[in-house]
Amino acid sequence: MHLQRIHAIFEKDMKDFMKNTMMLLMPIVPIILAFFYRQMGPGEEMPVMMGYIIVGVTYSAVTANCIMAMMAEENEKKTLRGLIMSPASFLDVIIGKSLVTGFMTLITLVLSLLILGIDSFLNTRAILGLVLLFLFFLFLGIGVGLFAKSISTVSVYVMPIMFLFGFTPMIELMGLSEDNLVKKILDLFPISQLIEMHDSASWLPLGMVGIWVVAAALFMYVCFIKTRQDD
Amino acid sequence: MENVVQVNGLRKVFHENIAMDDVHFNVKKGEIFGLLGPSGSGKTTTIKILTGELKPSSGDIEVLGMKSDMFQTASFQSQIGILSDNSALYERLTVYDNLKLFCKLYSAPLQQIAVTLREVNMEKEGGKVVSKLSKGMKQRVLLAKALIHQPKLVFLDEPTSALDPGNAAYIHRGLQKLNEAGTTILLTTHNMEEATELCDRVAFLDQGKIQEMDNPDALRYKYSTHNFHIETFEGKKLVMINDVKSADKIGQMIADGQVKTMHTDHPTLGQIFLKLTGKELV
Ligand SMILES: Nc1ncnc2c1ncn2[C@@H]1O[C@H](COP(=O)(O)OP(=O)(O)OP(=O)(O)O)[C@@H](O)[C@H]1O
Ligand SMILES: [Mg+2]
Repeated sequence: MHLQRIHAIFEKDMKDFMKNTMMLLMPIVPIILAFFYRQMGPGEEMPVMMGYIIVGVTYSAVTANCIMAMMAEENEKKTLRGLIMSPASFLDVIIGKSLVTGFMTLITLVLSLLILGIDSFLNTRAILGLVLLFLFFLFLGIGVGLFAKSISTVSVYVMPIMFLFGFTPMIELMGLSEDNLVKKILDLFPISQLIEMHDSASWLPLGMVGIWVVAAALFMYVCFIKTRQDD
Repeated sequence: MENVVQVNGLRKVFHENIAMDDVHFNVKKGEIFGLLGPSGSGKTTTIKILTGELKPSSGDIEVLGMKSDMFQTASFQSQIGILSDNSALYERLTVYDNLKLFCKLYSAPLQQIAVTLREVNMEKEGGKVVSKLSKGMKQRVLLAKALIHQPKLVFLDEPTSALDPGNAAYIHRGLQKLNEAGTTILLTTHNMEEATELCDRVAFLDQGKIQEMDNPDALRYKYSTHNFHIETFEGKKLVMINDVKSADKIGQMIADGQVKTMHTDHPTLGQIFLKLTGKELV
């Protein structure tokens, strides 16, 4: 790890992001969605679930998608080699990109939650939950990004992540009965846990999300080992 | 003289395919060394192994006094410069921003950007976006990227393959200047004139083995028949052996004003390669 090199990669990826129309469109999705929801019920207190739909969309469309696309593009355009062969380490590259991803996620999330109504998220447990959830999506994105050899495959990978982990509350809205097995499993998913957390004073849901983060970190590690063996 | 690259018994096998087989060579400090060979002969593979991108299957390799298990370290990487055959730039960024990234990654001062751009004849194009550059311009930016941190040793895989003759000549002069300032250069090329002009020594690579290695002029002398080729004003073409008996005859022809052109047999590197391997170099 080397701060100056991480900064150089952060600076480069930030500039590159700003010139990439495809990437710039991503943060707009949750922001427009937030406007849309606001229009549906102006003045009212938004249900917590609405907020988490926005959170899920932000984390899948911006966080996971952003880091995956950045890694896939370096692979596809053969620029990754130049970085790896320089004194920068692979870890420097990943951290630099994660910082860009984090920065973009933060801006998108704050803007869309401000539009929607941010009040229910302004407490320690909710913020901690959002940070953990960010790490979960980031690690998932890095893991897939290690495999993704081209940008066109990224959209294929992002779909299942988006539907399973990003849109969990929407699937639940489809009216599954309480004792449905699918619903029981979905209730264990990270976003469902965070929604549940708002109905109680328990810290247990945060622990559950923490387990998801550890699982995503393991997934990322396995992907890393796998892709190293290929050369 | 000190060797900056030492290769002993290098072997590289891809699955069943033997790409390099028992290769031996050294590159001396301050030298321009050329690897020549037809497509698929293992030039790029050699460079990738010497820069740590690929691991050798077996053999002893030392670069800048370090063994191959050190090639992944920052201290090794900051001492070498690499232009590989499919290096790439960030297309959406400007030339300047691309070089700035590498300047910082190599902890080189930012003034080096302007200096290096001048070396590759691109000083006016610094503000241009890379996607708007021609292929030859991109090639020159890639060369700038390889040189920006003033490495002791540079590996150039076909540095002038995309360049027009004018810019190739400009780059040749640049590389010669760099070399005079003490940089050791290992390059690969398909271009025989380039090799003859630039290299202190060349190695012919074919079928994963080095077939011949020496100074280009020494090779051309070694493989010369030393015969005289004479063309007369009457259009006759004569080949005469370089010995005492011919001397009188040639002297007489010159005295009689018959000789239109006369030269010794002096094969090009390409012809020597063809003779050795039965293959064209390109
Ligand atoms: N990653 C790889 N996997 C399998 N085989 C490879 C790989 N890289 C190179 N080879 C094989 O090794 C041999 C040497 O290839 P190399 O790229 O070094 O040739 P080259 O001399 O650089 O050719 P060119 O002039 O076309 O660039 C070829 O037979 C090639 O097919
Ligand atoms: Mg090659």
